[in-house]
Amino acid sequence: MKKKIEENAIQLSKRLQMSKTLRDIFTSQDSTSLKIAFDALESPIAISEELLESDFNRYFIGPLSPIADPFSSIYLDELDQVMSKSTLKVRALYETMGFSFPQQNQIPDDHIGIELDAYYQLLYIEEVKNIDYLRELRHYFLHEHLNLWIPLFIERALACKEGPSKAMVYILTQLKSFLIRETNTQGVPA
Amino acid sequence: MSYSKEKVDTLLHNGISRRNFLKGLAASGVLSSFPGGLLEANEDLNTKIPYLGEKSYETFRNACPRNCYDTCSIKTFVKDGVMQFIEGAQESTYTRGGCCVKGNSYVKRVYSARRLKYPMLQVGGKGSGQWKRISWDDAMEIIAKKLLEIKKDDGTMLGAALTKYSGNFGITHYGIEGMFNSIGYTTRLAGTPCWPAGIDAQNLDMGNMWCNDPEEMKDSKFIILWGVNPASNSVHSMKYIYEAKKKGAKVVVIDPVFTEMASKSSQYIQIKTGTDGLLALGMQKIIIDAKLHDQKWLDANSKGFKELKEYLDKDIKLDDVSKVTGIPLEMIKELALSFAKAKPATIWMGYGMQRHTNGGSMIRAIDALVAVTGNVGKYAGGARYGHLSTWGFNYAALSMPKPEGSVGYTGPEGAKGEFAHGGGGEKAAYTDRFLNINKTARELLNSKGPKVRLLWVACKNPFSQDFDRNQLIRAFKQLDMVVVADQFFNETAKWADIVLPVATQFEENDVNVSYWHYWLSLNEQAIKPIFEVKSDVQIAALLSKHMNKLEKGSCTFPQSVDTKEMTIKEFNPGIYAQFGIKSWEELKHGPVKAKAVIPYADGKFQTPSGKYEFYSEKALELFGSALPKYLEVRKPYDKFRMTSPHSRWSLHSQFQNLEWMEDVHPEPSVYINPDDAKMKMVNEGDTVAVFNKQGLLRLKAKITDNVQPGTVLMYEQWYNNNIYNVNELVDDTSSDMGAFKTGAPGVALHDTFVNFRKI
Repeated sequence: MKKKIEENAIQLSKRLQMSKTLRDIFTSQDSTSLKIAFDALESPIAISEELLESDFNRYFIGPLSPIADPFSSIYLDELDQVMSKSTLKVRALYETMGFSFPQQNQIPDDHIGIELDAYYQLLYIEEVKNIDYLRELRHYFLHEHLNLWIPLFIERALACKEGPSKAMVYILTQLKSFLIRETNTQGVPA
Repeated sequence: MSYSKEKVDTLLHNGISRRNFLKGLAASGVLSSFPGGLLEANEDLNTKIPYLGEKSYETFRNACPRNCYDTCSIKTFVKDGVMQFIEGAQESTYTRGGCCVKGNSYVKRVYSARRLKYPMLQVGGKGSGQWKRISWDDAMEIIAKKLLEIKKDDGTMLGAALTKYSGNFGITHYGIEGMFNSIGYTTRLAGTPCWPAGIDAQNLDMGNMWCNDPEEMKDSKFIILWGVNPASNSVHSMKYIYEAKKKGAKVVVIDPVFTEMASKSSQYIQIKTGTDGLLALGMQKIIIDAKLHDQKWLDANSKGFKELKEYLDKDIKLDDVSKVTGIPLEMIKELALSFAKAKPATIWMGYGMQRHTNGGSMIRAIDALVAVTGNVGKYAGGARYGHLSTWGFNYAALSMPKPEGSVGYTGPEGAKGEFAHGGGGEKAAYTDRFLNINKTARELLNSKGPKVRLLWVACKNPFSQDFDRNQLIRAFKQLDMVVVADQFFNETAKWADIVLPVATQFEENDVNVSYWHYWLSLNEQAIKPIFEVKSDVQIAALLSKHMNKLEKGSCTFPQSVDTKEMTIKEFNPGIYAQFGIKSWEELKHGPVKAKAVIPYADGKFQTPSGKYEFYSEKALELFGSALPKYLEVRKPYDKFRMTSPHSRWSLHSQFQNLEWMEDVHPEPSVYINPDDAKMKMVNEGDTVAVFNKQGLLRLKAKITDNVQPGTVLMYEQWYNNNIYNVNELVDDTSSDMGAFKTGAPGVALHDTFVNFRKI
């Protein structure tokens, strides 16, 4: 609780704010939390909470086969499987970074929301706490993992031809440009 | 590069490097600096660096709960909480270390990205595809409110209906019926689409359905596999058949289709569909005429042999038998005489044969052939169909009392299905209402007094397995609420208001037995339930919590359950004695087998006369014929007969949606005899329309003389992303028997007629 208060009190950098917002979008569990996170992106798209959620579910959640499953294993290992090799590699990375994951073996460690959570927290200790101990691991995580699958995930989601959702396209574009900025300029706008 | 890949890789894979790194991490202040999210700081690192390297395997006992002869005992290997692979349990001589191709794909099933993950509400209405994720509490509150509304409006819970069948035969899964018992008198889709005509036939003849241990088949001297294809659908039985064959036994396959089993037999006899009963009667006549029947056994153990003989003498003409069955008379004679001379000899009857308008009478005729030759009650003999003799559990999850003051149905009570066991306890003034599961669409549409308003679907995929899709859509749409509890999104879920994600057997505890072999397996929870899936009994408990919150006493199901405790409650001294164990805990060391009993070896039959009944008054009363007389099969109403047997790639609607299966068997086909294909100018791979008065299906043609001229074959399956359901072409015409023991007759699935053309 103390940490939450501290976090809110700090004016986060745009970079940190964006990683947090993207995390919040992909870890949202209901329409209200999704809408709050989406609004934080300050998109020009007006969309109701209900439609936003049903589009989000169609793209990433289900119950029908989502347009793009949000797990790295889908893109890096065998098609259509979770909890496979790359999931466990991410698990080992989290453990080495000093994280514990209470929902381990319930939510795959390589769910995009969890990965963005890790990335946000790593950035946070660097930017806000000035601790560099995990910087190299963060770079490794970005280049050797996130960049290997998230572009494929975005590509698959953007290829949706049946009823493309402007809101989802906006989220994916923001995610894409965040990744590009992190990769090329370490978050500094080019 | 701002990092060294090599260095980090070493860190991840080398225990010493990692320990050193983690020590430094604890000292760096990282742990107290993380802002926190779904990932939390591992505070343990401050005091002790835990072992984080490669873990060893943990093993768990499991069982395959599918509707399959084999009900495999499974050993599951788990590492770091993740299921890695499974193998068949070595302790079971039946499973003997191996699963079938479907079972071996279980890891793929559990971790399929296609699993249902969260409770969802279809906000745009049934079939709209607009889904909202909801919490379990919200889902259960919505359902509980609807149930209580029904009770308030109607004064009874009969407006709530359950359709559940064979998706999971684990004993605690009767807790789904238990859930419905616990809310009051409700409506049940009852009966069985599977094997009821045969169950009735065996009960009329022998007073029970009770097959010999399949492992005895290794010592049989003559085996007839009659309309059964274990090479595809009971692979663990094959080793006994092979062993018998190796020891000199003759293995004969009688089937309208040249199956995988036929290819492995000593002799294959292609019979015209629906004439098997006549062949069996013809064989008996030949055997009795040759005085090769077992008069001594018949005198001691049977009733009505004289009447049977008179019927055979008078009405069965061997030339007609040959003509109708399509089998040369010499071949029939040779088969009959060699079968009669071999001791012990056995016949295994498949479930397809009784899916005809004369199905029950055909099973009775074949039973009679086994009895006439004195092979009933003998080791390695028997008329094999199935058994439920090891199913004597407590059914604690099922047996929930009705809430006080419940009002129910006052019409005539029907039986409840082949696996129905007790429940409810004392005889009440009311009963549940039973609708015919084989006429689901019509029954739902026509239900009155009161009308069905809520349907709960569990362990079943009606849109893949039931009949008359268009009516079914109408029936679902007019219901206030449809709840579908499943592991995958399927055609039925598409027409639901609420879908609930259900656990696999690896995510819950249970206990399993077979309707074929005699082994008992514990099913242990091997992994944490993934995402938000719940076991069926946990769903029932949560529903109970919400019903009681809204109206105290409205549901008697326990409000919280542990699937392990639920499982333990199913055991009793009878089960322990039958299986020779002192406690269920012994099953942690592996499955155990029931003490050997030869069915009917003591000459005691549970028929009214206590004997084997060739002549059954009960049969006369219920079905119009005391003797297993030949009954002509349904007359064709279109150009070609269509049969729809089981595929080896799936189990009814299960497994086919997994990638491994899709790789080898990606889409449905219609199998057509070359003569028919030529006449219709259809080539291999052409898309054809198969149609009749019921509907039309488009699918690829496969040309093969494995099927007879005049017959087309399509497997009954569910394909992911494909609305194919062969049963759309089936009308719901009943088979002759089934109502005696299961409450409703079966469906004459294989008496479907169609036409086809190239498109």
